[in-house]
Amino acid sequence: MNRKEMLDIVQSAVKEAGTRDATAELTENREASVRFGQNRITQNLDIFRRELRLTVGDGSRKATVNSQRVDLDSLPVLASEARALLQTSAVDPEYMPPVPPGQNYESIPEAWDESTASCPAAPRIEAAGSVIDTASALGYEAAGLCRMTAAKTALCTSTGNSVFHRSTEFDMSFTMDRGLASSYRSLSGTRWDDLDIPQAAEEVACEVSMDMDAVDVEPGEYRIILEPQATWNLVMFLPWLMNARSADEGVSVFSNMEGKRITGSDITISSSLHGARPGRPFDEEGLPASDITWIERGIVKNLACDRFTAKKTGRPPLFFPSTLDMNGGEGTVADLVKQVDRGILIRRFWYIRFVDQKTLKLTGMTRDGVFLVENGKIVKPLRDFRWNWRPLELFSSVEILGKAVRMSPGMIPPVVTGPQTYPFTD
Amino acid sequence: MKNIAQRTVDNLKSLGVDYGDVRCETVKTENTGFRNARLEECDVRETQGVGVRVLINGAWGFSACTGFKQEDIDTAAARAVEIARAAGGRGKVELSDLDIQQGVYTGPCEKDPLEVSREDKISILQKISDDMMADDRIKSSWAELWFENRNRVIGTTRGDLIETDLTFTQPSLTATAVSGGDAQSRSFQDGARIAGWEWVEDSGFARWGEKAREEALLKVLADESPSGEMDLLLDGLHLSLTMHESVGHPTESDRALGWEANMAGRTFLKLNDQGSLKYGSEKVNFIADNTLPYGVASWGWDDDLVPGQKWYTVKNGIFQQFGSVRETALLIGRDSSTGCCRAMNAQCFPINRQPNFYLDPADNGVSPEDLASEIDHGIWIEGRGSFSIDQRRENFQFGGDIFWEIKNGKKVRPLKKVIYRSKTPVFWGSLDGIADKRYFRTMGLLTCGKGEPMQSARMTHGASYGRFRGIEVGGGR
Repeated sequence: MNRKEMLDIVQSAVKEAGTRDATAELTENREASVRFGQNRITQNLDIFRRELRLTVGDGSRKATVNSQRVDLDSLPVLASEARALLQTSAVDPEYMPPVPPGQNYESIPEAWDESTASCPAAPRIEAAGSVIDTASALGYEAAGLCRMTAAKTALCTSTGNSVFHRSTEFDMSFTMDRGLASSYRSLSGTRWDDLDIPQAAEEVACEVSMDMDAVDVEPGEYRIILEPQATWNLVMFLPWLMNARSADEGVSVFSNMEGKRITGSDITISSSLHGARPGRPFDEEGLPASDITWIERGIVKNLACDRFTAKKTGRPPLFFPSTLDMNGGEGTVADLVKQVDRGILIRRFWYIRFVDQKTLKLTGMTRDGVFLVENGKIVKPLRDFRWNWRPLELFSSVEILGKAVRMSPGMIPPVVTGPQTYPFTD
Repeated sequence: MKNIAQRTVDNLKSLGVDYGDVRCETVKTENTGFRNARLEECDVRETQGVGVRVLINGAWGFSACTGFKQEDIDTAAARAVEIARAAGGRGKVELSDLDIQQGVYTGPCEKDPLEVSREDKISILQKISDDMMADDRIKSSWAELWFENRNRVIGTTRGDLIETDLTFTQPSLTATAVSGGDAQSRSFQDGARIAGWEWVEDSGFARWGEKAREEALLKVLADESPSGEMDLLLDGLHLSLTMHESVGHPTESDRALGWEANMAGRTFLKLNDQGSLKYGSEKVNFIADNTLPYGVASWGWDDDLVPGQKWYTVKNGIFQQFGSVRETALLIGRDSSTGCCRAMNAQCFPINRQPNFYLDPADNGVSPEDLASEIDHGIWIEGRGSFSIDQRRENFQFGGDIFWEIKNGKKVRPLKKVIYRSKTPVFWGSLDGIADKRYFRTMGLLTCGKGEPMQSARMTHGASYGRFRGIEVGGGR
């Protein structure tokens, strides 16, 4: 559907609802991907999804229906189901009407690339093929995913707000391995043309060759060098916890931390609508998004806040957008390695889970490339190890920030932390 | 849906595919959720869709749409064919043999939960939530009743045609206590069943509000875990997760082939370990069973149309065979699939998933207390907590939901922040006692993540209490 057709549907849905309050959101998503493993294509997909969500309210109760029957003729049935569900709902002491009229939404045209949205299967297969061919020529095995997504959203509230947004994303990740040696790369962009896949395949193949005959980490002190993927694996836990309600309940590491230092002064974490990964300009309630700094030079500046908690506490209502940037500095991973006398270089983490949510203590494993660094050089590969860390403590000891690179959520840098004592499980 | 499936199968035949299947699905979901004693979620969702999978010159093509509009379905069929042809030369798919399948399967459901009034559901959740929040130190709670009815029809160009009707029911709750600068939670974790409203009644869910409150408080006020090497007594709900991670995943055939190397990972097992590798002590018998009553992977047929089966994954401590799909069976040296091919929904490509499976309980009259009586120093753990395992499924660390220290054969004090670490064959090799089948518990999991694009899948695991010797404990503080 085009912009007008989608807006017609959500506006008609709100009108059809006939309730005091209503919000309708229509999403349309095309996802086309090629998956490969064992140097063969294992999946080849092109999937289309469309869904309408209608939330109705009478001033004290609310109810939501979702349907994939999306056309003007189906709306009376959906609205009727929503009203019937509302009758059986319960009074909500935290009831909030739709966002007030007159909301201003930013337009983000750079989020959409037509050539990516209409990309046929052949370039995806070619991209997968280039990785497979590079791997098989060296006797390695490649596995990965090459994917294009095109998403559209239209939203309307009974208070008169209407908005439409569309975005494309192309991402590719792949692993090459030989026995226990492996390496990994994740690439992403708004446009297909942004990515140089053959070059990345060559780099990863070279990294596999460096990963042969890994040894155990010896006990001792090491600086930790996080490649951008590993940095993101830790940073991604912050949005789950950075919300005002859980902070006020006392169950979060951010409880009583607003305005206080939580990391070192070189860390700034923010979301930007017009960043390298363009953001979505509204949430599912129609609340506008804007550029926001969550942690500024180590100080907690803002927490995501639902509208009821905002009303109750006087904070501004803020939702956590889909993008996240961490500030960087200068230099590539290779440049950072040169500045470390004794450290462990980590490419990627795996299966990170909470050990203690209150203190944001996490556990996880390394994966697809761990190296001992001595006197500014990679000297040998190390076996994967388990760690139990508090990322906010790690980010309180950061010594060097490298240049941030574009990843799926936003811009993320490589990082060198201060010395940590192995084993990392105490 | 049968007409849609048949019409689309005919279309695929006319398009000249070597093989094609069509999955039509209608899913009705109802969710009622209370947060902190107020109704937060009152949602219903109805999804419909068609997934078309074709095989042309050894290459898959898969396309899907939402809704049942003929135009969209025809577009999906054409796209599946187009992209399969575009992959020419890089496909090597060969499917294991399977007799033609036709039939209808309806899962157990005594009382349709979608017919139970919303008022009754709200009333139960309000009572449970009020019970949880009855102490000021409980700062956060969540209680939820989730139901789903899933109807699907699968037809193939071979002439298969099956129909299934499954109802899933899952009650859940969590209470979080805050005291002394700490926060600890206690949850109802029996999970989902293919069953109706009777599972809400039979599970004892209505009584759990009070229990969760009291045990969350017990936990937040408890001493922190000791550390060192000690014995563990683990209940069935806890073991359901340890076996899921350290037995279920490593025994998936696609991991052994390297197909998940980029995401979910590989496995420490090799193809020639089937029938020979020592996985655990002689007491370890893991039985896979996709006919398990109430098991959330008991679907009648998998998405390859392979009927539900029962087999040994581990017998008397020896690894027997991988779970497989038709595409992987021949590649791992088997003649036929074990029926582990399932997709999250009609819009997803079906992949190799875990079956239902369980640690076979003993029939020995032994109680958990009997097992504890032979522990000098150890920890009694119930339920699931923190969990993490390496991508080869060998090096793991687990927590739990509630803990007691055992000294000289008796529970002596509650604990919190307990985690333990081990390696898969070492851990299962240290199992030296299993309690009687009267203590057998199952956990139905709905959210096992795997694949790219990521899909969640469903399976049930179960066990009685098990005693493990000499496990490393510590690091949870």
